[in-house]
Amino acid sequence: MTRYLLLLCLLLPPVVDEATCADDRPGPTFRRTLAPLLARHCLGCHSGPAPKGELDLSQPATFLKGGVSGAAVDPGKPEASLLWKRVTAGEMPPKQRLTTAQLKTIKQWILKGAAFPSPIDASRYTTSARAGRDWWSLQPLSEKPPPRPLSPRSWSTNPIDDFVLEQLIAARLSPSPPAARRTLARRLSFGLLGLPPDPDEIDSFVADRQDEAWLRLVDRWLAHPHYGERWARHWLDVVRFGESQGFERDKLRPHAWRYRDWVTSALNADMPYNRFAAWQLAGDVLSPGRADAIVATGFLVAGPYDEVGNAQISKAMKRVVRQDELEDIISVVGQSFLGLTIHCARCHDHKFDPIPQSEYYQLAAALDGVRHGLRNLPAKAEPHRSTEPAATLAVTIGGLQQALEQLEAPFRDQVLKRRRRSSTVPAPRPFARWDFQGNYRDSVGNLHATPSGDARIERGHLVLPGRAHLTTPPIAQPLVARTLEAWVYLDDTRQRGGGIVALHSVTAEAHDAIAFGQLRPGHWNLSSEGGKRSVGFEGPEERDADSGLIHLAFVFKADGAVVAYRNGQQYGRPIRTRGPRKFEPGEARILIGLRHLPPLRDRHIRGRIWRVQFHTRALSADEVRASAGPFNVQVSQQELLAAMPRGVRREWQHRRFEISQLKQLQKRWTAWKSYAVVPVAPEATHLLKRGNPRTPGPVVTAGAISSVSGPSSDFHLAADAADSPRRQALADWITDRSNPLFARVIVNRLWQHHFGVGLVETPSDFGFNGGRPSHPHLLDWLANQLITHDWSLKHIHRLILSSATYQQSSLFRPEAARRDSRNRLLWRRSPQRLQAEVLRDSLLAVSGSLNRSIGGPGYYDFTTYVNNSQFYEIRDPVGVSFDRRSLYRTLARSGRNPFLDAFDCPDPSTKTPRRAVTTTPLQALALLNNEFGFRMADRLARRTAIDTGPQPGAQVQRVFAICLGRSPSPIELHDSRRFLSRHGLAALARVLFNSNEFLYVD
Amino acid sequence: MSIDDRAASRRDFLDFAAHGIGSTALMSMLCDEASSMATPATDRVATPHAPPRIRRMVHVIATGGVSQIDTFDYKPQLDRLHGKPLVSKNRPDVFFGKVGLLRKSDWAFRRRGRSGLWVSDLFPHLAEVADELTIIKSMVAETSNHTPATFQENTGFRLNGFPVLGAWLSYGLGCESENLPAHVVIPDPRGFPAGGSINWTSGFLPAQHQGVALRAKGLPIDDLVPARTLPRGTEADTRVLLASLNRRHVLARRGDDALLARIRSYELAARMQLAVPEVTALDGETRATQELYGLHRKPTAEFGRGCLLARRLLQSGVRFVQLYSGGAFGRPRHNWDGHEDMVKNHGREAARVDRPLAALIKDLRRTGLLDDTLILFTSEFGRTPFTQSNAGVLGTGRDHNQDGFSVWMAGGGLRGGLAYGSTDVFGWKAQENITSWHDLHATLLHLLGLDHEQLTFYHNGIQRRLTNVHGRVIEALLE
Repeated sequence: MTRYLLLLCLLLPPVVDEATCADDRPGPTFRRTLAPLLARHCLGCHSGPAPKGELDLSQPATFLKGGVSGAAVDPGKPEASLLWKRVTAGEMPPKQRLTTAQLKTIKQWILKGAAFPSPIDASRYTTSARAGRDWWSLQPLSEKPPPRPLSPRSWSTNPIDDFVLEQLIAARLSPSPPAARRTLARRLSFGLLGLPPDPDEIDSFVADRQDEAWLRLVDRWLAHPHYGERWARHWLDVVRFGESQGFERDKLRPHAWRYRDWVTSALNADMPYNRFAAWQLAGDVLSPGRADAIVATGFLVAGPYDEVGNAQISKAMKRVVRQDELEDIISVVGQSFLGLTIHCARCHDHKFDPIPQSEYYQLAAALDGVRHGLRNLPAKAEPHRSTEPAATLAVTIGGLQQALEQLEAPFRDQVLKRRRRSSTVPAPRPFARWDFQGNYRDSVGNLHATPSGDARIERGHLVLPGRAHLTTPPIAQPLVARTLEAWVYLDDTRQRGGGIVALHSVTAEAHDAIAFGQLRPGHWNLSSEGGKRSVGFEGPEERDADSGLIHLAFVFKADGAVVAYRNGQQYGRPIRTRGPRKFEPGEARILIGLRHLPPLRDRHIRGRIWRVQFHTRALSADEVRASAGPFNVQVSQQELLAAMPRGVRREWQHRRFEISQLKQLQKRWTAWKSYAVVPVAPEATHLLKRGNPRTPGPVVTAGAISSVSGPSSDFHLAADAADSPRRQALADWITDRSNPLFARVIVNRLWQHHFGVGLVETPSDFGFNGGRPSHPHLLDWLANQLITHDWSLKHIHRLILSSATYQQSSLFRPEAARRDSRNRLLWRRSPQRLQAEVLRDSLLAVSGSLNRSIGGPGYYDFTTYVNNSQFYEIRDPVGVSFDRRSLYRTLARSGRNPFLDAFDCPDPSTKTPRRAVTTTPLQALALLNNEFGFRMADRLARRTAIDTGPQPGAQVQRVFAICLGRSPSPIELHDSRRFLSRHGLAALARVLFNSNEFLYVD
Repeated sequence: MSIDDRAASRRDFLDFAAHGIGSTALMSMLCDEASSMATPATDRVATPHAPPRIRRMVHVIATGGVSQIDTFDYKPQLDRLHGKPLVSKNRPDVFFGKVGLLRKSDWAFRRRGRSGLWVSDLFPHLAEVADELTIIKSMVAETSNHTPATFQENTGFRLNGFPVLGAWLSYGLGCESENLPAHVVIPDPRGFPAGGSINWTSGFLPAQHQGVALRAKGLPIDDLVPARTLPRGTEADTRVLLASLNRRHVLARRGDDALLARIRSYELAARMQLAVPEVTALDGETRATQELYGLHRKPTAEFGRGCLLARRLLQSGVRFVQLYSGGAFGRPRHNWDGHEDMVKNHGREAARVDRPLAALIKDLRRTGLLDDTLILFTSEFGRTPFTQSNAGVLGTGRDHNQDGFSVWMAGGGLRGGLAYGSTDVFGWKAQENITSWHDLHATLLHLLGLDHEQLTFYHNGIQRRLTNVHGRVIEALLE
């Protein structure tokens, strides 16, 4: 701890000896000596809106007035002054006595009349309780050149090492020798690409003894497209990137992925960091015609959005919701680019950093035009808008569908054969039948139907696009018991409330109908009496009607029971009613495609109908089955699945899920939109007292943080300025070369991901509560390097990676650990646990199944259902489309993946500049027992066996090389061979997946 | 002790533990590991700040909004005002914007037990144990929007991404059992609450503090057993080979704690594989106990299982169990959100939970566990004394009410049979001893021996607390 205090002292501006600087003129004396003294030692409590003891020592007027105990100073008479008494008695400041010199300053000043010419800025100086404007991170970058190379001189390869070595030597520590080349290749591959290196790559690097071999490898991997993916993930953590709204509804944002892709490609292209940042704040303003610049603004709106809160009736509560939203945006801007926790100043001045509340609202004003939304992208063709992926997807889908059909064919035949054999009862003859062979006629009787709306017939099917139905003439017969039958295909199973077929009164709303999703989404129900007496059957959810024809029959018995059948099988439970409604001759007619009259939109079905039948009696179960059977050459999925053995069934389900996924991917690819900022005209921003929208204070105009040295924080904009100049000014201010935080914060992030810990341990907080830099001059040197090299992040990577500091061995040294147990001075390279995503990606990679395609809409590893809110059910999808890097997992806020979660994948709603690394039994269970691990082990075994042939020794050698990047030791080889002979290669792969060596990178 | 010292002593201990001793303490080290990275300041972990009055708790969370007026907050004046308009200076600012006529409770109120606590006939079984209850009648919430209100109930904040109470307890008190997670959630079998797992997130706290949701059917937790059936001997040999690989790996890297901790986590996983099925098997309970919890009656069977399971988990050392009464919002209403018809809605929901809750209290009392266990029953807000209908109409449903509602507790450290605070004559706005979620959270932590101002975790510039910058311990509730 002392070491850091020491560093801290070095960073503070030199303290002028207050006593010796005495000047006779009251102004300078006060400014130079007394004001700093009061600010550092007194104003922490005695200033602001609620000063302690009601004594405010920062203003001339309040100073003279004094506090609850009376006047603080009696000018000219120290002994009579309360202030003097308290400081000499050692009562104040409470924790630390003033020095003799400081006391002398005070005494002199009182003696000379205690002039107080101007207010003191309480936030000017850092105190023991808070940071002032002199806080280290707010100061301009230091231009200190790297120290002269020290011994061991041969160790150092670039100035980074000189900075590091200087502090190591000062702490009587020595650096570690370089790591083995094999280890280095692995370290670099995980670090830059987030994937394990191929054994061949390791071997060729190990064999390449040329001096530049390392730099060549660094350059090659920096240029690799996987680099952008790996580092995009780091950035997305910082900016709380999620792909659903959060809060109650948590709807998906199907077009948010473009922001993720933009980050990846910007990093791969080494977009200058100042533009990278500016576009995220105001790309749409800075480069209005460019789709990618608009997509970049997804940054501002990547957080949650309270749909219900924004739609509520209460205006007062809505304003609170909007203020919460702004806080989210201001905090992500402040933390990501500046390492400042500006959002802490929403309700009051920042308690620890020199950020007054008014400046929070200046930023709120700068961002007031920002709203969440889906933005259409400019039509102009760009490399970004490739139609190729969608075309490729179509081919893939076609192939998968074909494969699926081949898989189904034998079972389809089997079902039909069985059906034919088992039908004993002849199919009942209906009273009326409509089979849409080019017309709407009743092919049995004379109830010919009349279409309305845009009903049409296509290839023997009645097509109902949503506002269409058929009506028949009245039925000239009394009706009691009866049966409604239909063969139907729904456009989608999310539709609600449509009717397939109804028996409907000619005059009143009385009816009985087969309805879909009216009461519960995805369920069939009976609709009666104008919908008032609708009842569900409590049957299972309909999952197939959108992919194949299904047969439905509702049987109304004379005793009041209503029984539903689906594909000849009873659906749910019978409904008991008081008896079917009796219709006199001419009183009722049939409606097709409509639940009941009047024909409102939500009563229409969207789908296709192959045939409808009406019986004037209740069919028996056998009759229904017979009716469904011979006519229905369609085999339902349920039947198909029942016929399949378990393995085939699983395979079939995986393929189906994959097809449905690819279809939604296709839609998302082609939709030329992005979840981004949809700006609105800003309103005047008021400072809100205590952050409460009910108590607005003065109007505040757009601006930034004045305590940051460098660019002016005043944007010179009017209170009614438009959105574009506001955000442009903010982007200019943040990315200004003279803004010291902007460069410091990002180079620290890069450092952190290479070493596990940043030079500042709190990467999104460079304020008083954050960490102090372990190597302040190195931090500034790197920041300057970034600026002078056109903001190239890859340049900084190259500097770091070429340093000897990075290439040190990770070997633990007890004597060094005793001096610096947390390795803050970098006497070794700290081993690092694979991040959740890297672990999953590595399993895919080593098993040879990683789908390396870059970019595009993300996959879903969940199914969704809507029950007022959006719900997510996690599943373990199988298929090439899902074997992509975890970066492409769609990040639903309430649909998190338990496997990734177990390994500390953060909540996408929190800004996570640095992930926790935990070790829990649940991790062990996940890695040992999850089906994903077994599947990857199988594939690795298959892959290895193909590579090496059946020879067990070679197999063991190969899996070690693939998983761990090395050969097994003789004893490992022996143990593994024995294990292999008993349990197989896949079981051995599973062991290696669970080994510490697989999970920890040296 | 500086952070460095702490790490060093832990390492010594691990050397010790690696030889097979001291597993309990090692577990807390496992729980602790992440805290050493949560630099730079003063995160306090696994040490109560004061002697605790309770060691574990179960939080029954009724989603949708339980009406105070129909349950615990007796307003005789409403009997007179029934069917009359609300007379107030301010027009109520309610969620759906409809202010109908005042409606009295749909259930009769009676004084119960020796304490004479008012409990309505909606909860006949709970009424039998009224003397165990400590009721706060003056709760207020910051919003009348379900999900932000539920977030606040759970985390103190209206927003996504903050750690829930259970996660804070897991972080602050660590694990009591090494075989079970510290923070367990039992969702309503009818469905997850809106926001799903957000409701048991660890937010910015390390992932191990996240709630583990137990499934009602099938395996209670993910990956408890291998996804595939393994031939005899494979699992045992796997563990042996894994252990030997890891041992050799760690020998070459002596001093790296994380590696040892990970080896140990596999042993703990094995124990968890045994412990979880054991604790979730309710059939070992006697017929009498099962009947007490209502396992054989249709309306109570589901929630009764939840309560009995909660009791078994607490008994086995789980620190915090959260039990949901109610699933998603919207329709059908599988929760307490009685917008349309209070009699139907609250009647149905109360019938599910009344007997099991009373059983839980009785059972914990009988076993002595109630002395250092807390049962907390809350909902995110209450309901309006006027109906959700057009002006001048007496409807049958009530809208959300954030300005006054009731919660209750039972268990160690509390004054039983006590009603604290009150609302106005209508039962609409809290009036006396107004209590915020922060106050309630501060009080809970206090009972558990934690000072809510000291249980902090550094996150992006702030030493975060469950109680934000608010909260006071409600001394009047304490024994």
